[in-house]
Amino acid sequence: MTAVTAVTGHTDHTGDLERTDDTEGTGGTAGGPGGAESTESVASAPGMDGDAGGVQQAGDGEENGNHAREAEGVWDDGLIARRVVPGSSPGNGDPRTVAEVLAGSVASGSPSAVSTATERPSSYGDSAAYDTRPPYENSTATQDTTVVYEGALRGRLDALRELIGLSRTRLDTGTLAEAGRVLDEAAARRRLSDRHTVVALAGATGSGKSTLFNALAGVMISETGVRRPTTAAPIGCSWTDGAAGLLDRLGIPGRLRRRPLPGADAQVLQGLVLVDLPDHDSAAGDHREHVDRILGLVDAVIWVVDPEKYADAMLHERYLRPLAGHAEVMFVVLNQVDRLSGDAADQVLDDLRRLLDEDGIALGEHGEPGATVLALSALTGEGVGDLREALSQFTRERGAAARRVEADLDAAAARLRPVYAAGVGSASARGAIGLSEEAREEFSDRLAEAVGAAAAGQAAERAWRRHAGKACSSPWLRLWRWYETQRFPHSTGRHVVAPPADEEATARARVEHAVRTVAEEAATGLPTPWGQAVREAAARGAQGLPEALDELALRAALPDGRPPRPGWWPVAVLAQAVMTLLQVVGGLWLVGQIVGVVEPNLGVPVLLMALGIVGGPCVEWASGMAARGPARRYGFEAERRLREAAAGCGRARVLDPVAAELLRYREVREQYVRVAQRG
Amino acid sequence: MLQKGAKIGHSSHVVTLDVRPQLLDALSALRERVAAARFPLPLAGAPRARANRDELLAQLDDYLVPRLRAPEAPLLAVVGGSTGAGKSTLVNSLVGRQVSEAGVLRPTTRTPVLVCHPDDQHWFAGMRVLPHLTRAWAPRQGREGDDGAAPGPGGDSERLLRVLTADTLPCGLALLDAPDIDSLVADNRVLAAELICAADVWVMVTTASRYADAVPWHLLRTAKEQDATLVTVLDRVPHQVVGEVSRQYGALLAKAGLGDVPRFTVPELPESAGGGGLLPATAVEPLRTWLAHRAQEPSSRRQAIERTAYGVLGSLNSRMPELAGAVAAQYAAALRLTSAVDEAYESEHARVRARLQAGAALAGDALKRWRAYPLDCGPGELLDAISESLEALLLCAVTAADEHIDDAWRREPAAQAPALVRRGGRYERAPYEDGDSPEHRIGMAVRRWRRELEEYAEDEVRTLDRADKNSLPDADVVAALLATALLGGRRARTAGETLAERIGAHGALRLRDRGGRLLTDYLDKVLGAERERRLAPLDALDVNPEPQAELIAALSVLQKER
Repeated sequence: MTAVTAVTGHTDHTGDLERTDDTEGTGGTAGGPGGAESTESVASAPGMDGDAGGVQQAGDGEENGNHAREAEGVWDDGLIARRVVPGSSPGNGDPRTVAEVLAGSVASGSPSAVSTATERPSSYGDSAAYDTRPPYENSTATQDTTVVYEGALRGRLDALRELIGLSRTRLDTGTLAEAGRVLDEAAARRRLSDRHTVVALAGATGSGKSTLFNALAGVMISETGVRRPTTAAPIGCSWTDGAAGLLDRLGIPGRLRRRPLPGADAQVLQGLVLVDLPDHDSAAGDHREHVDRILGLVDAVIWVVDPEKYADAMLHERYLRPLAGHAEVMFVVLNQVDRLSGDAADQVLDDLRRLLDEDGIALGEHGEPGATVLALSALTGEGVGDLREALSQFTRERGAAARRVEADLDAAAARLRPVYAAGVGSASARGAIGLSEEAREEFSDRLAEAVGAAAAGQAAERAWRRHAGKACSSPWLRLWRWYETQRFPHSTGRHVVAPPADEEATARARVEHAVRTVAEEAATGLPTPWGQAVREAAARGAQGLPEALDELALRAALPDGRPPRPGWWPVAVLAQAVMTLLQVVGGLWLVGQIVGVVEPNLGVPVLLMALGIVGGPCVEWASGMAARGPARRYGFEAERRLREAAAGCGRARVLDPVAAELLRYREVREQYVRVAQRG
Repeated sequence: MLQKGAKIGHSSHVVTLDVRPQLLDALSALRERVAAARFPLPLAGAPRARANRDELLAQLDDYLVPRLRAPEAPLLAVVGGSTGAGKSTLVNSLVGRQVSEAGVLRPTTRTPVLVCHPDDQHWFAGMRVLPHLTRAWAPRQGREGDDGAAPGPGGDSERLLRVLTADTLPCGLALLDAPDIDSLVADNRVLAAELICAADVWVMVTTASRYADAVPWHLLRTAKEQDATLVTVLDRVPHQVVGEVSRQYGALLAKAGLGDVPRFTVPELPESAGGGGLLPATAVEPLRTWLAHRAQEPSSRRQAIERTAYGVLGSLNSRMPELAGAVAAQYAAALRLTSAVDEAYESEHARVRARLQAGAALAGDALKRWRAYPLDCGPGELLDAISESLEALLLCAVTAADEHIDDAWRREPAAQAPALVRRGGRYERAPYEDGDSPEHRIGMAVRRWRRELEEYAEDEVRTLDRADKNSLPDADVVAALLATALLGGRRARTAGETLAERIGAHGALRLRDRGGRLLTDYLDKVLGAERERRLAPLDALDVNPEPQAELIAALSVLQKER
């Protein structure tokens, strides 16, 4: 409990500091009135660190997802040499026992969660005490400025925050965790002193990290020795006051914080905070955890290698290759050159350069940005001056923190690439993400087919023509037809009862297939999670779509009953009647002549009758021709109403959500481009 | 088990393991089984299993079988360790002249070097041990060129083993200088692991600054696990700290349960750092003596050989089940994939059947046609619309099943196998050839179904003997009505009634029966064919349960023979 109170006290203190600094308008991270609150919460991050130590350990790894995974287990590619001993060999086969022997000063070699949990709270207790020491108090209170990220970098960080916010619901948290960590660390670092540059000394066991540490500090700070591994916990050394916050962040307890020997050498390295790390390759697993955790937090790293171990696979594969993007904040120092003859030293240095080049690390030669490679001997002091000078220049520039954050951002962006940048390249090659006009058209067509628009239109057209033909046909024909129906009621197949209104008139399968096809079309070329989101959006929209279409089809269908009649219809009917009348009149006249009622005149009645007989079919034919146009229009109208209703329904329920999802992806992608764009 | 053999070569008494031929047979049977094990599915444990398989195979081929066949062959001591530990320097010093390139650049040794007494040369000239390595008979002066050429011409595909002779070496002992176990060059790592597997005596070299490294400790633990004859050499120890470092190292070994392993300490001398010089004979004398003793003194030789050989034999007890487990895991994964496919198609099959029962095929266009029939729609049109509807229904079922399978497979790591990943998108038309899309296949099947249905209708009409030839119903009409009645469910009741009126209740019933069977047949056929297509790549991987049982069986035969 004492630890907790100590932490809060300390947090308030830093929080106050930050608040004053924050008003300077850097505001890039939280900004606004909420800024102060979030400042506090982030400033207490080191404290949180301690509590959540066990959790953090796993994800804390280094820059690489792989890497974090590896950190959990032993580096193990299945070869005989690196086989993890299965639990089956009890007792002495257990790697932990070696760790115990090796750990020496460390209280327990059991996996991190326990040891850090027991160790860290005490460290905060210590750190609080450390802060209350007068000199530090003064210095921090008076002249601390915090790191300011330049415009471009700030923009990228903002974009990343935006990106995470936009895609949180679409991607699983594991994917975004690393990016979130980069943001958090960037924010945490921003709140801390920019006058200091935190540099870690990392390397294999026995490479001489501690010796170099002592050589730089000028005093015997870190224990050196032949016992392997020697250093079990990180030790910090600050050349300038006010680094308490930074060391807190690294979780280095007060008892492990040191000051260099004052003097001219110390003046040169103003602003340097040097951290001596444990080894990363010994059988003591918790050392590696320390290293992995702290490497994620420091501004720059000096990799110390020696002639014996400079080509170790562990160093290159686990650390240098994943960190290749961090070349600008990296020194690689070949220590122990005193063990080599002059010629051999050059050879080894060249070979080291070659290996680094193969790892993809840019080498800072000829003034280009990149990693600095030096040869030195911490024991004899040869070459240490060069390193001191390089470090001095490095710390004077004060840009390391920002550059490190930038490199982190680059790494995070590269890792997120498969999630945001279009995948297989089909769509990106086409240059279009989203639904093409053809795809929308096709979707509408399929829906129209599902509700049966075309068939309905055709049926309506035919029905209209049928009615017209019936109305305008000669009465004799109609009489005969009526007689036929009476004789064979089934042959014409007329329904005795009107069919009931159909339930589920829409073809379910067609709707389902249409939605699936359009979703697939939209998802083509999208990265997997976004493609999935598009498909889900379409599937959500498709729920209830068939029912809606059923209802729509009912409403949009043409009203029942007789179709409307064109204006010429009565004329045609009249003409037909006249023709019939002519036939009748002609017939009667002829009959009258035969009977003798009328005086004989063969010509006129025969002509009349012939006119009637020929004219009847003519009128029928003419009206049939005239009915074509209106019938087609009528059918079209019926089809159009159904088709438009279905298309509208499909657009509202499926296409719009899909388009919205695509828009969201495009937006996210733009953000991603902003994150990934350097400079 | 062991008996003194005849005198061979010089005065060395060679002890042979009495090996029954049955044991060798069992061993080679086991070897075949191991070689036949395949891990095509990318499961989490597959790379490991593959490595284990290769390693086991290497150990059987390179060590166990040759050793049991020729127990009198010279003792092979493989010098292994981390890069820069001074393995080559140690070998050179043991031999007394420079046989293996030593240097400051890492990794130094890329081509393994085997040194033996001239009289023993014939043992290593053939392919008795290390059959995968091409022998290179490099004379001393050709060393430079040979080293340069090693990764060069043919170096990628065939690996070299340089065999040298030196009469300074005691008879019956061969030294092998292996590459680094943790080299940056991945091939070297694999080769080193393989070479170490071939050793009678494992000589592990570490240094004062390395003795706590994680990697060599894994190797030591493996040696302990396999109960191999092991020697450790603590090399490059600055003489000021010899005592302390040596004590520390001893403590670590004791803690790891390796306290009884012979330990030799070689101090760091200017010669060991660079220039490829030799260490003074005194520095390596204890190790040399120890090795010579092992090689020449019958009982200790027997002990050394026996320990490693039986260690390997014993390790089979745990390694074979592990391998069998991996094979079983492969089969289980394949089974999961298959069952995902089966389940998806079964559920879709059921869904389609239910839909057909409910008359879902008579919807949309087809339904509108049916409502317009016969006044405003001909039988041909009706039949067209119904066929299309059926086609859509089947296509929907197949794509839905595919989607379910994709969903299920996405959660399976095994489905990431290159053979199982489908090219391009699912419905992208580009990857499909025209004749290869599901649309096309289903369309074909439905057309065939329609044709058969029409034939049925024609048959039925022909059998009707009506006096009035004119009142015979049209076959097209009968076919259309039949299709409607079959697919329309309840809403097409009138179709069935009309059909009965036209051709008689008996004929209609018969026709509907036949039509129903035909529909079921086609449904099963279409979905079955699609399912087979989906499973074909998985079947091609040929993952089956037999290898697991065979591996275990081979092991139990071996155990019986021991």
